[in-house]
Amino acid sequence: MTATLSPPALEAEDVSYTYSGPPPTHALQNLTLRVRDNEFLAVLGPVGCGKTTLLRIFAGFLRPTSGKVRCAGSGIDGPGWQRGYVLQEQAIFPWMTVRENVEFGLLAKGVEPSAREAVSDELIKLIGLTAFEAAYPKDLSAGMSKMVEVVRVLATDPSILLLDEPFGALDAQTRARMQDALARLWEQRRKTVLFVTHDVEEALYLADRIVVLSERPGKLKAQFEVAVPRPRSVNTRFSAGFLALKREIWDATGR
Amino acid sequence: MARRSLLWIVSLAALIFAYMLVARAISRPDIVPPAEDIAGAFAALVGRGQQSPASDMPGMDMPAHHHHSSDQVDTLLQEGVTLQASLAVTMARVLFGLIVGLPLGMLMGLLMGWSRRADDYLHPIYVLVRSVPPLSLITYIMLWLGHSEAHRLIPIVYAVAVTAVIPTYHGVRDVAGKYVVAARSLGARGRLLLAKVVLPAAAPAMLGGLRYSVAIAWMTAVGAEMLMAENGMGNLLVGGGMWSSRLQMRSDPAVIIVGILVLAGAGWAMDLAARAWSARLTRWAR
Amino acid sequence: MMGAVRVRRAIVALVAVAVLYGIAAQIGRGRLPDRIWMGAHYVDNVKLLPTWQQLAEEGAYLVESEILLDSVVVSTRRVAIGLVLGSVAGILLGLLTGWASRIESLADPWVTFFRFAPALALLPLYVVWFGYGETSKVLLIATNVAVITLLGAHQGVRGVPRVYLDAAASLGAGRWLRFRKIVLPAAFPSIFGSVRIAVGLAWVTIVVAELIDARMPSLGYLLALSGTYPRVPTMLIALATVGALVLVFDLLALLLHARATRWMGRTA
Repeated sequence: MTATLSPPALEAEDVSYTYSGPPPTHALQNLTLRVRDNEFLAVLGPVGCGKTTLLRIFAGFLRPTSGKVRCAGSGIDGPGWQRGYVLQEQAIFPWMTVRENVEFGLLAKGVEPSAREAVSDELIKLIGLTAFEAAYPKDLSAGMSKMVEVVRVLATDPSILLLDEPFGALDAQTRARMQDALARLWEQRRKTVLFVTHDVEEALYLADRIVVLSERPGKLKAQFEVAVPRPRSVNTRFSAGFLALKREIWDATGR
Repeated sequence: MARRSLLWIVSLAALIFAYMLVARAISRPDIVPPAEDIAGAFAALVGRGQQSPASDMPGMDMPAHHHHSSDQVDTLLQEGVTLQASLAVTMARVLFGLIVGLPLGMLMGLLMGWSRRADDYLHPIYVLVRSVPPLSLITYIMLWLGHSEAHRLIPIVYAVAVTAVIPTYHGVRDVAGKYVVAARSLGARGRLLLAKVVLPAAAPAMLGGLRYSVAIAWMTAVGAEMLMAENGMGNLLVGGGMWSSRLQMRSDPAVIIVGILVLAGAGWAMDLAARAWSARLTRWAR
Repeated sequence: MMGAVRVRRAIVALVAVAVLYGIAAQIGRGRLPDRIWMGAHYVDNVKLLPTWQQLAEEGAYLVESEILLDSVVVSTRRVAIGLVLGSVAGILLGLLTGWASRIESLADPWVTFFRFAPALALLPLYVVWFGYGETSKVLLIATNVAVITLLGAHQGVRGVPRVYLDAAASLGAGRWLRFRKIVLPAAFPSIFGSVRIAVGLAWVTIVVAELIDARMPSLGYLLALSGTYPRVPTMLIALATVGALVLVFDLLALLLHARATRWMGRTA
């Protein structure tokens, strides 16, 4: 039966990764994971469980020590715009304006300036930063910078997004706002999203499915389907179904 | 702020005043020249006229050997040496060293910072190379190139290149890393990646090292001139004349002090320029 | 972080350089001119690129006759004394000017002057004041080292994060205690970093000073002498010796730095 289904957007088959020492660190161990097309998958796990390593492998910066990774059925050969990657650290280019940042991927693709402008116009408006389009990152808050990084990666319209705890450094309120913005964005342009976080509530709010990794070395510990209806809002966070799931996950992850 | 400048000026004035007192107290004008001698030497070397023999100065008891030192200024003037010309020559050498040495050093730093592999191979060689003081090579280079301009310029280029490597290396390896990852995930490669991501990201670190390279360039240029040149400020400092007579420095301290002050001024000016230029290039930085 | 791979590559690189030099020397044997114009006369039989064998022979001679050792001892002693004198003076002054801003404003013209006067330019002045010999050389090194370490200490003190000082003050620490236990350790990275830079500069200075005032025994003299004859193998060995000494001193400075900043992470 599976032969008639299209291959998963992202697939990790029995993947292990070890950082060479000294001493050698086993980040991932025999991990098998499948991300469906247009699915929003959240990867939950404690600090150091290999979440970033997994993302970097999918992004094409690392090769698994053993096992295979695939993207839409074929092997991953290095980074590319088709798998947009937003890092955990702040990586907005400080020497470029907001607009130049957003247009960068299009510049790399060789898109004409007028076409680039059209795309960046729309994306900048989407995150409400039109007034700041000519500003430099030093004039932006951390939250604003992060959203710029997110739409920057959207500009090239990749089918896959890899987000590594993008809101980790933000305060609670900004984080909630950014989660909303991301949810809106995703609902408008469905993509496959692999979202790494250690925040249970964030994972529940954003994802279709949650996968829990154990402590180092990272192994698949548990899996949850998030059957919470969309679109989600502030009220969702306090709904019975949401809270019940949250309880379940807390218990399962022993936190 | 104003208070600090005031203290600065007061301190400077005190310094000059204290010097004048000391000079008068020691009363050995061949070792600690009085301010008038210094000013006189400056004026003479700038070409505004012969330095008048000190015995013309009213109220000064001149020991016999004072005549000898003013001879040196006269000799310099006879040889056609002026302060401006010497400074210009030294500055030209400094600029040459910077223009050629900086790109060389930055290229090496870029390569080492970018590729772990290249770093593993090149870094040990670099450590060896930078351990040999550039000016010590000057005797060896002379055997190859004789008394040529290249012979003097090579140590300067070498010194600048060596000092430019580490800041660039640090900028590319440590600072630019995460930006390169982000850029590659946006599809950037090759020249675009280098020009629009790596270099701007590494720029603050590289420019931080620039000031140091400038200082090294001045020092090496002056040193090379002291050892092996017939013109330039370094040459002026050790008494002018042909290199072959270098064995005995016949220097008038007034000339030396003038030379040092002028060099300090020029160095300070170039440092200021380097700082201003760096600030302009990294306007986007916090 | 010494992975086996890195060590292997380092060795490969160094061996490759040695081999390339050897090849170049062999090629040059027949081809390079061995008659050099020395400004007033020709000299024959100059080996511009001595082979490894010639270098080894010359090296053995220099070591046996103790010429090299004597030179090394003399030069090293000067550098060491100059370094110690200069560092102590520079660090103390730097700490002082960093901590007490009024003193800083007073001292600033001095510091600026010495900072921008190229290190070697002071040599002729010192020779006039102190004559040829040990004093002028050691003092020159000390001056240059002092300037660098002064700046390092100054910046170290200035760069202490305000939060540490405030936290200490609200714990009741007095001025002196704050200085000793907070400011000083926090300034260590900058101080010992500048010591490392000063080490390199000290050697550059001594070599030039000894080249100008060349008298036996010293490494600079060895360089100058082998330049006037010329005797290339000696020159190259002297250069290599200077390089080796710089490396040793640099390593010591690095160890000192690491020891003093043990409590910091990688980001020292």
